[in-house]
Amino acid sequence: MGHFTRRVAAILAIIILWVGPAWAHVGNPDVYFQGPAGPYHLIVTVRTPQMIPGIADVEILSATPGVSKITVVPTYIVGPGAKYPPVGDLLTQSKDDPQYFSGKIWLMESGSWQIRVQVEGAQGAGELALPVPAAARRTLPMEKSLGVLLFALMALLVLSIIAIVGAARREGPLEPGQMPSVDHARRGRRVMIGAAVVVFALLFFGNWWWNSQAFAKARQMIYKAPPLDVSLEPDGKLILKMGNSEWHRSRPETVMTNLIPDHGYLMHLFLIREPGLDRFYHLHPSLKSGLNPAGAHTFELGLPAIPAGRYQVYADVVRESGFPDTMTAEIDLPDVPGVPLTGDNSAAAAPSLATAIDSTTAIPGGAGSAADGLTTVLPDGYRMVWERGSAPLVANHFVWLRFRVETPDGKPVMDMEPYMGMAGHAEIVRSDGSVFAHIHPDGSVAMAALELAQKNAPVEAASSTMDPGVKMNMRMDPPSTEVSFPYGFPKAGEYRIFVQVKRGGQIETGVFDTEVIQ
Amino acid sequence: MAQSAHPAIPYTVGGEGAAAPWYIWCGVLGVSSIVLGLYWDISWHMSIGRDTFWTPAHMAIQLGGILVALTSVYLILSTTWGHDAAAKAASVKVWGFRGPLGAFLACWGGVVMVTSAPFDNWWHNSFGLDVEIVSPPHMVLGIGILAVAIGALLLLVSWMNRAEGDAHVKLRRVYLYLGGVILSLHWVLLSEYAGGDQMHSPVFYRALCLGVPFVLVSLARASGYRWGATIIAAFYTAWVLGQLWIMPLFPATPKLGPVFTNITHMVPLEFPTLLIVPAIVLDWLLNHFGGKNKWLLALMLGAAYLGVMLAVHWPFGDFLISPAARNWVFGQNYFPYMESPSEYHYQWEFVDRAPTTALFLRGMGIALATAILGSRIGLGAGDAMRRLRR
Repeated sequence: MGHFTRRVAAILAIIILWVGPAWAHVGNPDVYFQGPAGPYHLIVTVRTPQMIPGIADVEILSATPGVSKITVVPTYIVGPGAKYPPVGDLLTQSKDDPQYFSGKIWLMESGSWQIRVQVEGAQGAGELALPVPAAARRTLPMEKSLGVLLFALMALLVLSIIAIVGAARREGPLEPGQMPSVDHARRGRRVMIGAAVVVFALLFFGNWWWNSQAFAKARQMIYKAPPLDVSLEPDGKLILKMGNSEWHRSRPETVMTNLIPDHGYLMHLFLIREPGLDRFYHLHPSLKSGLNPAGAHTFELGLPAIPAGRYQVYADVVRESGFPDTMTAEIDLPDVPGVPLTGDNSAAAAPSLATAIDSTTAIPGGAGSAADGLTTVLPDGYRMVWERGSAPLVANHFVWLRFRVETPDGKPVMDMEPYMGMAGHAEIVRSDGSVFAHIHPDGSVAMAALELAQKNAPVEAASSTMDPGVKMNMRMDPPSTEVSFPYGFPKAGEYRIFVQVKRGGQIETGVFDTEVIQ
Repeated sequence: MAQSAHPAIPYTVGGEGAAAPWYIWCGVLGVSSIVLGLYWDISWHMSIGRDTFWTPAHMAIQLGGILVALTSVYLILSTTWGHDAAAKAASVKVWGFRGPLGAFLACWGGVVMVTSAPFDNWWHNSFGLDVEIVSPPHMVLGIGILAVAIGALLLLVSWMNRAEGDAHVKLRRVYLYLGGVILSLHWVLLSEYAGGDQMHSPVFYRALCLGVPFVLVSLARASGYRWGATIIAAFYTAWVLGQLWIMPLFPATPKLGPVFTNITHMVPLEFPTLLIVPAIVLDWLLNHFGGKNKWLLALMLGAAYLGVMLAVHWPFGDFLISPAARNWVFGQNYFPYMESPSEYHYQWEFVDRAPTTALFLRGMGIALATAILGSRIGLGAGDAMRRLRR
């Protein structure tokens, strides 16, 4: 069995390393969300399993007291699977904190799921829907101890069945009490040799079948973001060609391939210069009509002025089912004179990540530290402050990322505006690019998916006039000077956070660096 | 000897009221429990969806296996270390232990069944929770179940072959019942290919020729009874009709999304294949030509089996896909919770049809070849079982 498992593990390792942590976002499989369920304000964390079908852990903290019961039901967001939800799962109320509930839900197929959270308590009942995209990330190799045990059992079983077959041939036809003759013994041995051949042939076939099943299953089940081909035309236009994805195509009801706009745009594109993450661009390419040779979409964009360098490309799209993808690519760009930034496109510059972490002074466009948190001085003199607190940031723990904007002399600003319908956007990147998240005050969910989920659930705060396009965040009207994002860093390391808000007609991007520990 | 918990086995058993020993009943009960559990489990997965290891259906399977295996262990140890000379005489020797042949096989099967559990657990964690019958760990479990069933059968057969008179007749009834249960066990693997919508496809006939001729011919041949195959097929029919009519009486709700069909009661498996008709023909052939050359006989049996299957199921398929069969009697209007209404129509129209006559004939040719081969091996196995007295 050791040889078998080694081969399976090798094949799977190749798949895993090749596939990488590709996920939408990149490297962020868990969902962090905040929202109202009737009179109760809930903070929800969903940890999706590595393999689908699998069991997800749900943790809910109610910011509002008086909750007595929470039930969660997973269903698809769209399609016939959304019509009949199964019986819900009751979450367990923590004995130490009556506002904390936890439990498990079963996700049976990859796709665009939602969970409906039903709350009961002193203030009545309430319901909340949030999207949970689920996709298989990896398979698991067998533990060595289990492999050894199974191999030992198999050896015992193989030898014993050969012996049993031999006994059947040798003594089976005999009358009770009759002793087997030399002839009988010889026949018995011959049959045992034959049985050995058959058994080993079966084992060989079984091993081949197991490996091919494992390989086929992994290939069919494990999520891969569609490939993205990025190229620069001589006139400064960036062309992005999406590639074919069998994973998406083979899930026409649960994932779907068509795109829907997410807070106003079919694609949100981020260009971040490597290795220092010192240049950042948030752009919105437009869709070209027709399909490219791979049968997928092509986008184009007139680039703004961009200095030369190697850029990591992150392209966020959302499918018709609510399932989000983040496609990645790399491109070497020359100095691009470009066109001026217009509309919702934005950019930021900051010192290289390696140098910035050591810096302790506030520098123009850079990160620094201040008495009450970290402060960035924005290009127009305004300041953005991260109310970080002194506690270290720990991976896989829920955290509020709170930021406020101040005038150059430290007073709160009065002219905050929604940026693409929201109080703010944050992009979180790990120094090596293995984590990329594009999040909002509602959490790490895709806004388009959230709207689809809320359309089906009786959410109190949801507007009944939902239409694709720019949406107002219901709880911020007009936006305050403070913006908060619920999040959880998926792994330890050095991160750069780009926080984007709009003030006085101007898009401001604050840049903050931090370390996350295990 | 009368006081021995392990009854003495004289070379022949006769007289009124001679009963089958307790361990025969354990074998029969254990195998029945396993097969009941399997049908129940499949129905559970179609109706409720979610389960852990500890569901009643799983327990029925595992406890059935454990019952037979522990009985066998007891038989082996008591024969090896006991003082019952008659028992020792009627035993085989494996690795220094003595016991009935069936006991060794059932014991082996029990260990395989238990081995499959941690293997299955790992497979779930690695490749996802169960959504298919045919996975490597399930095949290991299947081999274990098969060995337990055959072991129990051989245990019964060796006793039956030493009995005479009334005792023999009574044991034969139990044997025919166990044969029906074993045929039902085999049919579970085939049920996926045995729908009415598949009865115009070579796939149906290939599936039904793969193992059924072997099972029917071997069990009928070993029974020494004129209508062995017929009675076995009758027990199988009763078993499958039983689950078809009784399962839907129990309420059930899906506990696992996505739910595409709103289930309110347990969803049963298919209507039984009409194996009883070819079984009658097989019995007739075995009675009239039983002494002939085995290859010639196998040719007749295989061809007759396939011919009758085709003649019966081609029109029966027409009936099953018609609205007249969409009721509780024939069960053509049941769908598992995960089946989308957009796919219902597949149950009511013929699928997997061979695109050309040549391909159809090729498929049927393969079916014929397997039926003949299965019959030939069945004849050999049946004869070997008739000789088993240990």
